[in-house]
Amino acid sequence: MDPGLRRDDGLMGDHDLIGRNRLKTAALNGGALAQWRKWAPLAVLLALCILISLFNGNFLTIGNFIRLLNSAAIPLVLCMGATFIILMGSIDLSVEGIVALTAVMVSLLVTNDISPYAIGLFAVPLAVIAGGVMGLLNGLLHVKLKTPSFMTTLGVGFAGVGIAMAVLGGDTVRISDQTFRFLSLGRPLGIPMAVWIAIASVAIAFIIQERTRLGRWLYAIGTDEMTARHAGIPIERTRILIFTVAGLFYGLGGVLSAAQFGQGHALISQGRLFTTITAVVVGGTALSGGVGSVLNSVIGVMIVVVLANGLVLMGVEPYVQQGVQGLLIIAAVALALDRSRLEVVK
Amino acid sequence: MVDRYKALLQTFLPVIVLVLLVLLIGGYDPTFFAASNLLSVTADTMTLFLMASGVTLVIMMGGIDLSVQAVASMTSCILAAYLPRYGIFAIPLAVLGGAVAGFAGGFVSTRLRIPSFIATLAVSGVVISAGYWFSDTRSVNIPAELRDSYLGWAVGDTLGIPREIWVGAVFLIILSAILQLTPFGRLVRGIGAQERAVMASGIDVNRIKIMAFTLSGTMAGIAGIVMAARLGSGSPTLASEFLLPAIAAIVVGGTAITGGVGSIWRSFVGALIVQVVRIGMTFMGVSVFAQQIVFGFILVAAVAITMDRSKVLVIK
Repeated sequence: MDPGLRRDDGLMGDHDLIGRNRLKTAALNGGALAQWRKWAPLAVLLALCILISLFNGNFLTIGNFIRLLNSAAIPLVLCMGATFIILMGSIDLSVEGIVALTAVMVSLLVTNDISPYAIGLFAVPLAVIAGGVMGLLNGLLHVKLKTPSFMTTLGVGFAGVGIAMAVLGGDTVRISDQTFRFLSLGRPLGIPMAVWIAIASVAIAFIIQERTRLGRWLYAIGTDEMTARHAGIPIERTRILIFTVAGLFYGLGGVLSAAQFGQGHALISQGRLFTTITAVVVGGTALSGGVGSVLNSVIGVMIVVVLANGLVLMGVEPYVQQGVQGLLIIAAVALALDRSRLEVVK
Repeated sequence: MVDRYKALLQTFLPVIVLVLLVLLIGGYDPTFFAASNLLSVTADTMTLFLMASGVTLVIMMGGIDLSVQAVASMTSCILAAYLPRYGIFAIPLAVLGGAVAGFAGGFVSTRLRIPSFIATLAVSGVVISAGYWFSDTRSVNIPAELRDSYLGWAVGDTLGIPREIWVGAVFLIILSAILQLTPFGRLVRGIGAQERAVMASGIDVNRIKIMAFTLSGTMAGIAGIVMAARLGSGSPTLASEFLLPAIAAIVVGGTAITGGVGSIWRSFVGALIVQVVRIGMTFMGVSVFAQQIVFGFILVAAVAITMDRSKVLVIK
């Protein structure tokens, strides 16, 4: 045998070994691989921006940048809630239901062409609270009936769309309250109001995550629920609270949707669930729980939005978006999931 | 002895519920008992049953398939788009489309080790896009003469019984036989009951799982074809309302989402319960839209009742 070849073999073997060791210890000492995993979503986002701007000169303009931020606003708000739930290792499939319900509710409460209430901006906190109540329902059913979150939220989500449909009988409400629509269309400092609201949401979510016990506990639950329980963390209460907080964010998302489109109907939230989950997992938050952050989801939302924008600029049919997002979910989950922890995948 | 009665009661509880519901509605409106009415109610349930039948296998393994409604819509589009060009061959093509989608869900879930609900959710996104692509984003009509010559087996009557029921019965028998009589069926049960034990006995668990997911996609594909035959058109959103009732039918029938327990006839009974509840609500004047709220909660309640909590330490 050629000795050079054998030496090469040995070298490759060594590399392989080092790689594997790193993989094993990455979670413990934050090795190179963990570093890479941490920065991968940002790298993907930058690469995507460079790639698209090479193909299309219209991408890197201020107008397009503001358009990007504007379309990122609602997904950002929704992702803040969904990230918390995924950090606990649970999942929330009720995003569309709660958004539809709150969007319809808020549009019936402001000046519109169907109902006479016209309570103006007071409708906003009411709708956000309604979202919180739906989230509370998610949490209570999930924790008290001990049903898996994906089933519970699937049921509650369908119920939410059902309520929105039943209230309107399949109709559309048109909003004529301009003060309310300012929430999405107004442009303080040249940036859409919806973007300011989204930035505020991210700030609030970040504070909850970093500076409150709730935020710390949710990482503990996501990492190892049994240990968290032994450490005296009130698992049930934390879970219910987190689902409620997520509901509040979805409620705000519903308000912004209604303000953006100037109308409310039961299908206003179609596709939101998909975008939300894609953004969270593409941002690097692991579905197995405990790993990730709301800041990851900010990157995730930007990746999804930039990709969608890029596809539109390249003239790809809009219906392809959902397929692309589906593939993104698969790719991101496959790359990010720490599978050494899972023997049985259901 | 008491335990035996209890077990028997548990087994036949869905049937008892179904009979009670039928009696209840019949009490309000005796015309409900007319043979023709009962037959048409059953016939209307068959597409739901076809869709639920394949997912039953996946749920019995402790997984879930959230892509069936997208798959059924897609196959209706494939059928409607290619029937004029390929004639009868459009049918196997559509079934194949369903099988491929099911396989993709199973492959992604097992090979990439992604939980099945998120894997099938992601695949459903791709499948929905494919449906739009096949149909060119529209609803596609199936010309009456093509429908009569190629899809006659799914509509109309034979021996006084609607053909949907015959189709449903054939697949009820085939799938029950697969589940009860073949090694594959036993392994599906085994994976649901104790996956590690099946793994330890040297079975390629992933292969069995992929087969079950493929079967689930195939049945959803067939459901889409029957739906398209009944409606005379295919559309990328044809079956989008069917996911909730399909999963509700399975768990209401008594198949536990924790896996191991269940059968195809249970989903058959469950589908009939869903349909009868729907008719009952319509009788009572509950709007079609509000019915979805009720089903959402029935789903959660049925899951809560049938679940075997001894099997999962931590409920995520």
